[in-house]
Amino acid sequence: MTVEPPMTVNFWIPGPLRSMTAGHSQVDVETSGVTLRDALEALFAAHPAIRDRVLTERGEIREHVNVFVGNKLARLGGGLATPLADGVEISILPAINGG
Amino acid sequence: MASCAAQFNALFVMIGEKLGHYRLTAKIGEGGMGVVYRARDEELNRDVAVKVLAASMLEHLSKDHLLKEAQTASALNHPNICTIYQVGRVDNGFYLVMELVDGQPLSEMARKTQLTTEAVTRYGVQIADALAHAHDRQIVHRDLKGANVVITPDGRVKVLDFGLARRLDKATVETITRSLASLERDRSIVGTLPYMAPEVLAGETGSYQSDIWALGVLLYEAVTGQLPFSGSTPYGLSAAILHELPKPLPSSVPPGLSAVIIRCLAKGLTDRFQRASEIRSALETIQSAAIVSQPRREEPTGSRTLVLRGIRHLDVKNRDVLLLLGTTKGAFLAKSKSDRKHWEVAGPYFHGHAVYSLAYDSRGGRHRIWASTGSPLWGTYLRSSDDFGKTWTNPLEANLKFPPESGLALKNIWKIALGPSEAPDQLYCGVEPAALFESHDAGESWSLVRGLFDHPHRPRWMPGQGGLCLHTILLHPTDSGRMHAGISAGGVYRTDDGGRTWQARNRGIRVTFMPERFPEFGQCVHKIVRHPDRPDRLFLQNHWGLYRSDDGADTWNDIAHGLPSDFGFAMASDPHDPDCIYIVPMESDEFRCTPEGCLRVYRTQNAGASWEPLTRGLPQQGAYETVLRDGMVTDALDPLGIYFGTRSGKLYASRDAGKTWKELISGLPQIVCVATAVVAEMAGDSTPRPAEKRRPIKKRRRVSPTSAKSSISKRKSTRVTGSKRSRR
Repeated sequence: MTVEPPMTVNFWIPGPLRSMTAGHSQVDVETSGVTLRDALEALFAAHPAIRDRVLTERGEIREHVNVFVGNKLARLGGGLATPLADGVEISILPAINGG
Repeated sequence: MASCAAQFNALFVMIGEKLGHYRLTAKIGEGGMGVVYRARDEELNRDVAVKVLAASMLEHLSKDHLLKEAQTASALNHPNICTIYQVGRVDNGFYLVMELVDGQPLSEMARKTQLTTEAVTRYGVQIADALAHAHDRQIVHRDLKGANVVITPDGRVKVLDFGLARRLDKATVETITRSLASLERDRSIVGTLPYMAPEVLAGETGSYQSDIWALGVLLYEAVTGQLPFSGSTPYGLSAAILHELPKPLPSSVPPGLSAVIIRCLAKGLTDRFQRASEIRSALETIQSAAIVSQPRREEPTGSRTLVLRGIRHLDVKNRDVLLLLGTTKGAFLAKSKSDRKHWEVAGPYFHGHAVYSLAYDSRGGRHRIWASTGSPLWGTYLRSSDDFGKTWTNPLEANLKFPPESGLALKNIWKIALGPSEAPDQLYCGVEPAALFESHDAGESWSLVRGLFDHPHRPRWMPGQGGLCLHTILLHPTDSGRMHAGISAGGVYRTDDGGRTWQARNRGIRVTFMPERFPEFGQCVHKIVRHPDRPDRLFLQNHWGLYRSDDGADTWNDIAHGLPSDFGFAMASDPHDPDCIYIVPMESDEFRCTPEGCLRVYRTQNAGASWEPLTRGLPQQGAYETVLRDGMVTDALDPLGIYFGTRSGKLYASRDAGKTWKELISGLPQIVCVATAVVAEMAGDSTPRPAEKRRPIKKRRRVSPTSAKSSISKRKSTRVTGSKRSRR
């Protein structure tokens, strides 16, 4: 059995959620997984209050929250199964039609 | 000295002029040491602070000595010490050019908000580190005090004025410690004396250890918002510092931090910390212990409490009348004395979040406001405040969740309903998609009421304009098994066994959007109210149609006689009269505004046999207003107060049972819910009062002021507690 070496991904946290990351706008997490879902789980493990703000209880990204992997919108690509590369930047951003 | 003072007066008026290559742009402060200006360094193109030393600074010291001290201080290079860039000299005057520090003095922060232990410890470490750095270089601050420690917006401490304080000679100290003048009147010492160490007051020169004493005072003040010693005169305060123990720290201060503060404030030098670095180490130990001891889930997210800054909160007193206003962009709170003449308004709370339900919960002696807050982005949460909005819970997780196998996700909490007063931890929430949730531990955990969720009708319910939502929950005042729920568009459902089974109860209610006019269920019910004195009597505003039931919803009868329209949303009962209901009809489902541009409240006093418009004080021209389902409410006072909010953000009120109306508030976002309560006895009288038996009230009574008062206190334990109110 091969074990993937852990990779580091960098999350951009939007202003309204920074109270849940002790004020940090950028959070690095390590994950041994390979998808956006794995990276999010690593983020939630460190900052549990983020989970329900980003995902519904159905485990889907909220309708008016956009998650970008690099500069690609996850919703339009592989969704939570979007593959990640080491060092990738993931941005959590409010959608323009949500306010 | 006279020429010196004249020189400083000349410098004092030089705003706009240059000192060296610094152009003074504004005066930003003035203290015992001199005047501080904001200035532009025109060589390095940056903003700096320029302190022009006061003549009094030079009275007791040679200018050369002062210059040497300032030059030494300017050698300090530490992230928590305000850097001195330059010491300048103009004729007989001195000025210091310093880093411009933007922030708030620590003492001011501590007075305004309750700082957390974590924050105080964090600031303490930085101050102690700054002191250790200076002390290692043989520099004593000598005037460490609340005003000299500034917290920048990014949470960094900056200690100002290192080594610059004038030395007080023995005669000056004696004058201060013997003064019986009011402390507040002597501005030169009011901010300094409380931080002075006992040995300084005894005439000794300030030392490293007097800085450590001052740090103890600062930490004490940061953690309690108060000073450890008090006195109304310099003599009284000095005597307390010299001879008394510090006032006991509250038990909420962790023992480790408490021990550090007390050791800084030891009167004997040998009992006090010897070095600032020891304090830094002690505080760092507390920090790491706190991180280890906190549950993993709590630590990274900080407190569960959300403090809303920048809002002038309400100072609520016993018997005040509260109005809770939910809008699509936040909540507002208002209060008045029981005369309901003048209202103070605070908010917006949760700005940007839609607040569809608010409730005041005084069961079990609490004073809690519940709020459902829905962000279109980040989801819907149930929050509460026990201090009338100053702080709110900020749940780590969504409180209400559909079970995974349901495939549903919560969209909105439309209704918070309180359980009976004898079950103060019981709560219900009506949500979208249509379902009922219940809690039996005061909102800590929630579960889906399966009896209704698993009802065979549910797959055939259809969403109305506001989505498929359960928006009305009516508990029976005496039969704990019976409850009604209003679903749009599912109709009225009733349980008689505490929620295990539910029956559709829509006989007689017409629908206009299906081929079958009187189906068993599927009605688009907008609002139901119940009068606590006649719990089997219900009034219902339907999507077209106005109805009354006298048999607990078994059958419904049309009561829209003579109204301009039987379409509408809002409805409020009169707690003094079970035959009386207030509504605000809308023109139609296509034009959901007041008919003919006239804002009219209609009232029946005979259970719907006839209706009369109430318009005095309400706009009767061009007022195309909409009052939504939870937008109207009555208070429990006599004469009755009625309040309604509009989609255009206006709040109208009557304090004479609808005879006259007044616009109380305007300019709010779209109002979606209004709740009211009379505040029950607080602190000192927080024991829950036994529920008194209610007198049957047939018709509105004229009451004397005395009996009105007693009826208020009686309602504190009955209606205002929430569950037994009719609908808000």
